[in-house]
Amino acid sequence: MSQETIWERLQRIDRRVIYWLLFILLIIPFIRPLGLPVSIGPQTISLLEGLRKLKEGDVVVVNISSGVSAWPECLPSLVAVSKVLIQQKAKIIYWTSFVDGHMTFEKIVEKVPGFKGLKYGVDYVHLGFYTGAEPTVAQLATNIRAIFTTDYKGTPIDQLPIMRGVNSAKDVKMVISSDTGDYGDYYIRQWRIPYGVPFAEIGIAMIFSSYQPYWPEIIFGMTGGAKGGAELEKLIGEPGDATVTMDAINTSHLLVIVAVILANIGYAATRRRR
Amino acid sequence: MGYPTTIDGILGIWTALALMLFVYSYPLYKENQLFRFAEHFFIGLSLAIAAIIAIQTTIRLAITPLMAGKFYYIIPILLGFMMYFILHRDYRWISRYPIAILVGSSIGLGMRGTIIPNILSQIISTITPPKAGADALSWFNFVYIGIGTILAVMYFLLTFEHKGPLLYPTRLGRWIIMIGLGAYYGNTVLFRMAMLSGRAQFLLQVLGLVPF
Repeated sequence: MSQETIWERLQRIDRRVIYWLLFILLIIPFIRPLGLPVSIGPQTISLLEGLRKLKEGDVVVVNISSGVSAWPECLPSLVAVSKVLIQQKAKIIYWTSFVDGHMTFEKIVEKVPGFKGLKYGVDYVHLGFYTGAEPTVAQLATNIRAIFTTDYKGTPIDQLPIMRGVNSAKDVKMVISSDTGDYGDYYIRQWRIPYGVPFAEIGIAMIFSSYQPYWPEIIFGMTGGAKGGAELEKLIGEPGDATVTMDAINTSHLLVIVAVILANIGYAATRRRR
Repeated sequence: MGYPTTIDGILGIWTALALMLFVYSYPLYKENQLFRFAEHFFIGLSLAIAAIIAIQTTIRLAITPLMAGKFYYIIPILLGFMMYFILHRDYRWISRYPIAILVGSSIGLGMRGTIIPNILSQIISTITPPKAGADALSWFNFVYIGIGTILAVMYFLLTFEHKGPLLYPTRLGRWIIMIGLGAYYGNTVLFRMAMLSGRAQFLLQVLGLVPF
């Protein structure tokens, strides 16, 4: 029986070993942050520049099309964006296409100290859940009240001071969408193009490259995943969850890179032998 | 937010942690009863929440206006009801009508804003140079995306055989496509790692090793 070489063994590492190593490497930076540098991309800079152009009282819609499972990716950007919107004294309308979207909204309110000085229903509101994908997004652009008759607590929409005079895309100064899927495209097609409403995207890392071609012509700014969140946190000078998460992601990527290199060396070495 | 102090809060985070560990027992150990319990529990709970939300939404958006005298709301309710015929082999054809209306309206709406963002603006974004004072990387990206787009499109030039003057550009185009797909896959991995890091952070938070 021929003895297995180290190269052959490298190609047959038990996946559980990799998973355990990965889990350990993800945990370490949370206990002892490494403080690795974060470079800032131009898309994030233009996102902040766009937000800074808002004036007091401007109505901004924040669409939450990302679930609780995407918090590590989208929540830091949503939190940072909300902080800037409050600084600009904008009126913020949140709504969601995810059944657990209200949890994201409540988490944002919990994480942004600025909300404590604001009044719900006057300065910000969460209108709740909507379904129906692109047709609903198109309907929201023409008649918000056709989709939302109450906010997520059940208060009639007409009793909310923030909603006075706000009923279509024409009354909204900006849309920001947090996505794990296609909702960004829906808002581009139904809000940005027909009504010219400035649009920004908070995407997971996976869809960042898909939205890249839209920037800067269609999307005025965007962040991609936890990295984008860390960039935005750095730009506004308030390091948060994404800054810590990036350390963990960097260490885990190091493991992936080492695993890929080792596997390829092993493959090349054994192929030469054959 | 600090560590939960209420009974339901504490019970909630420890239940969540236990279920999370049950799920991770599959990749970190092997398939087992605890993993299956967590899997079935999760699917059942998700479906229950989705069903409740769907019923609430139907009542809010269709039943309430109907009761208020807007009788034309009977049309979407009937169309929605017709969808359920998909479950019966003999009457499946009935479900095709609401599906056709749904697909047709979605395509129509989708077409409305497709040309400008998906073709014209993407061309403009591709050929727009970086702002004055941009760093070398931005310029590299600009040149790479510009040339890369042309070469990648050339790869799909199937009217002519890829030889002679087309040999090297199309071969380079194929490499560009592979690099693009690799970057897309890399971003997918980045997303999964970020989700996992969220769970790692949650584990430490519940154990009291890092603040909530």
